[in-house]
Amino acid sequence: MAYEFPVRKIIHVDMDAFYASVEQLDNPELRGKPVAVGGGAKRGVVAAASYEARKFGVRSAMSGQAAKRNCPELIFVKPRFDRYKEISSKIRAIFLEYTDLVEPLSLDEAYLDVTENKFGNPSATMIAKEIRQRIYDQLGLRASAGISVNKFIAKVASDVNKPNGQKTVDPEDVPEFLEQLEIRKFYGVGKVTAEKMYQLGIFTGKDLKDKSEDFLKTHFGKSGKFYYQVVRGIHLSPVKPERTPKSVGAERTFSENLSSEIFMLERLEQIAHELERRLKKNQLAGKTITLKIKYSDFKLQTRAKTLSYFVADHSVLLETAKELLYQDALQNSVRLLGISVSNLNTDRGQESEAKEEAIAVQLQIEF
Amino acid sequence: MKFLVSSTYLLKQLQVLGGVINNSNTLPILDNFLFDLKGNQLTVSASDLETTMSTILEVESDSEGVIAVPARLLLDTLKTFPEQPLSFVVEDNNTVEISSNHGKYALAYADGAEFPKAVELSNPSSTTIMGDILATAITKTLFAAGNDDLRPVMSGVFFQFSTESLTFVATDAHKLVKYQRKDVTASEVAEFIMPKKPLNLLKGILAGSEEEVKIEYNDSNAKFSFENTELICRLIDGKYPNYEAVIPKENPNKLTISRNQFLSSVRRVSIFSNKTTHQIRLKIAGAELNISAEDIDYSNKAEERLTCTYQGDDMQIGFNSRFLVEMLGNLSADEVSLEMSLPNRAGILTPIDGLDEGEHVTMLVMPVMLNN
Repeated sequence: MAYEFPVRKIIHVDMDAFYASVEQLDNPELRGKPVAVGGGAKRGVVAAASYEARKFGVRSAMSGQAAKRNCPELIFVKPRFDRYKEISSKIRAIFLEYTDLVEPLSLDEAYLDVTENKFGNPSATMIAKEIRQRIYDQLGLRASAGISVNKFIAKVASDVNKPNGQKTVDPEDVPEFLEQLEIRKFYGVGKVTAEKMYQLGIFTGKDLKDKSEDFLKTHFGKSGKFYYQVVRGIHLSPVKPERTPKSVGAERTFSENLSSEIFMLERLEQIAHELERRLKKNQLAGKTITLKIKYSDFKLQTRAKTLSYFVADHSVLLETAKELLYQDALQNSVRLLGISVSNLNTDRGQESEAKEEAIAVQLQIEF
Repeated sequence: MKFLVSSTYLLKQLQVLGGVINNSNTLPILDNFLFDLKGNQLTVSASDLETTMSTILEVESDSEGVIAVPARLLLDTLKTFPEQPLSFVVEDNNTVEISSNHGKYALAYADGAEFPKAVELSNPSSTTIMGDILATAITKTLFAAGNDDLRPVMSGVFFQFSTESLTFVATDAHKLVKYQRKDVTASEVAEFIMPKKPLNLLKGILAGSEEEVKIEYNDSNAKFSFENTELICRLIDGKYPNYEAVIPKENPNKLTISRNQFLSSVRRVSIFSNKTTHQIRLKIAGAELNISAEDIDYSNKAEERLTCTYQGDDMQIGFNSRFLVEMLGNLSADEVSLEMSLPNRAGILTPIDGLDEGEHVTMLVMPVMLNN
C-alpha cells in the first residue's frame, strides 16, 4: 500500500545518554568511564547511564544497587537539572533556526516539522545531519535522529542507528519499515500490550497489519483504531510548537498611590494600549480579561470577566477593565493596576476556523 | 379654590405632563401634579427634579390656590370618563372633590408649597426654532445616544448652535448621527448636551407642530417654551467628544442603493445572524452587494444579492445588523449612500434625496472586525 497522505517531513532528535553526556562534558575525568546520573543514594534509581555503563547492562530506572552489581566500576553523580535545562534550551535554539514547529518531548528529545523550513532545504535527512553536527560542534554532545513522514515513525527511526546516528524512512519505505518492525517497538505498545499482542500472534508490524480494524477494536478498545492506523503509516498528530503562553498581560506601578477611579481610567487606557500591542505582536486574542489591583498595603485582588468572543482590541479591553474596576468598591489606595488576557486563541487552526464569527469584534469610534 | 374643566382636555394635558413623573420617587411630593390656579388660568406642573414641565390650561374659575394632586390616581380616574365638564372643589378636610355626571370622588391633596420650584434661568441666551424641525432633529439623533453611565456626555444629544447653522449630534461610540440645519440659525454660538428624557418628551409633543419653540439656555439649564407649555431641564455636565475629528474625510468606496431594498435585505438576513453579535457581512464587487450572515452555533445561514451602484475597490466589511437597521429605518430617503474606506474604518451613511433645503444628515457606523 502506498503512502497516500500529504507528505510531511518530521525529524525526531534524541540526545544520546543526555544527562550522563552532560556530566562527562562538564567533568573531563568522567569521560570514557561508566557513569550513572542519580542512583547514588541507598535507595536511589538511575536516571541516566552513559554508553560505557550501558555496555554493562546499566539501564535507566534501575536501582543504584542493581546497577552497581552489574558494573562495579560505575560512578554515580548527582543530577543537576538546571544545567540540563540550560543545555536543552541551547539545543532548542538550534532547532528553532530551522523551523518554528518544534515540539519538545522532554529535555533531550524533540520533534521538528521541517516540511517547510527556514532554509528552504528540501532534504530532511540533510537537515537532521546538519543539526546533529551543530549540536556536536557547539555543545560537544551527540544526538541521534529519525526522519520520516510522521512523528511515530520518526521516533521509532531515531532508535535504529542510535547512538550518534540517524535513519530516514522515506515515504515509499514506510509500509515495509512498519511491517518488519517488532511489535514492542511500536509507540504506545508497552510491556502489557506487547504480551497481549504476542498472545494474539502479533509479533511484527506485518502481523498487526493483517488484523482487521474490528478485531483490534475488540481486543484493544479505542487504542485498536490507533494501532490499525499507525501500522498503515497514518499518524496525523501535528508537531505542536512549544507550549504557548497561557496569558498575556500588562501592568503599571504608579509613582503615587491612586485613590480615585477617575485617575485610574487614564492609566487603564495606557495599559490597554500596551496590552493590545503585546497581543497583536504575538497574534493572540483571548476571552478572559482579568483586572489586577495591588493596593498600597500590597494586598492583591483580581477581578475577571469572560467574554463570548476573543478580543485583542484595546477599546474592548478598556471597557471590560473599567467595568471590572467599577464592579466593586476599592478597599484602599492603589499602587498597581494590570490587565491580562487569558483563555487565548492559541489553538488557532481548529478554534479560529470553527468559531470564525465569534471572534468578530465590534469596533468603537476613537474619541 | 374651585374650577370647572373639560375632562378630555384636562386628561390630554395631564398625560403629556405625566411623562415627566418617575415611577418611583424618593421625594413623595414628586408623585403629584402641582395645580396652581389664578382665575381662569390653571398652571399644571410635573417634575422629577431634573426636568420640570408646566402647561397653562384655560378653566372656568374665579378663585385662586395651589395644591399638589396625586398624579396616578387622577390620571386613572380621568381616563375612564367620556367627555364632560368636571368640577374640582378643594374641601376643608385636605381633600379635593371632583364632581362628574356620574358622581363624586375625593382625593387627598398635599400642600402645593412642598412642590419643588422650577429653576429660574439666569442670563439665558435664546434661539427660536420651528417645533417640527426640533422634533425631527431629536428623532434623527436620539436613537444613537448611548446608555453608558461611565460616559454620561454620550447619553445625551449635543446641541451646537451657531450663526450659520444648528447642529445636533448623538453617539454611543459605535454609531454617530449628525443632523444639521443650515436654514435655521442662532444669534450666537452655543453648545450644550441635552439629556434623553426631556428630549423624548419634546419629541412627542412637538412632532408636526408648526409653533415656534423658544429655546433659552445657560451653562446648566435649558428651557423650551411653546404654546402654553414650558419645559425646563438640567443639562448634562461635561465636554462632548470631538465628533468632527472622527468622521473620516477620505472614503474612496461609495455604494449607492435603494434604502428600502437594503433595509429589508439586512432585516431578513440578520434573522440568521449570531444572536449576540448580530453580525452581517457585506461583500461588494462591481455592481453587486452581497449580504450574508451566519450563526455557526445553530448552522443557520443566509445570503442575499442586491444590485447597487458602486465605485471603489472590491471589499468586505462586517456590521452589527441592529445598527444598520436602526439607521436605515431612521432615514426617509429613497436612495442612500454608504461610503467606506477600509474594513476597520467607519462607514458613512447619508440620504441622497428627501431632504429639506439646508438639511444635512450624516450617520457613521463602526464595523465589526471580520477575522479573515
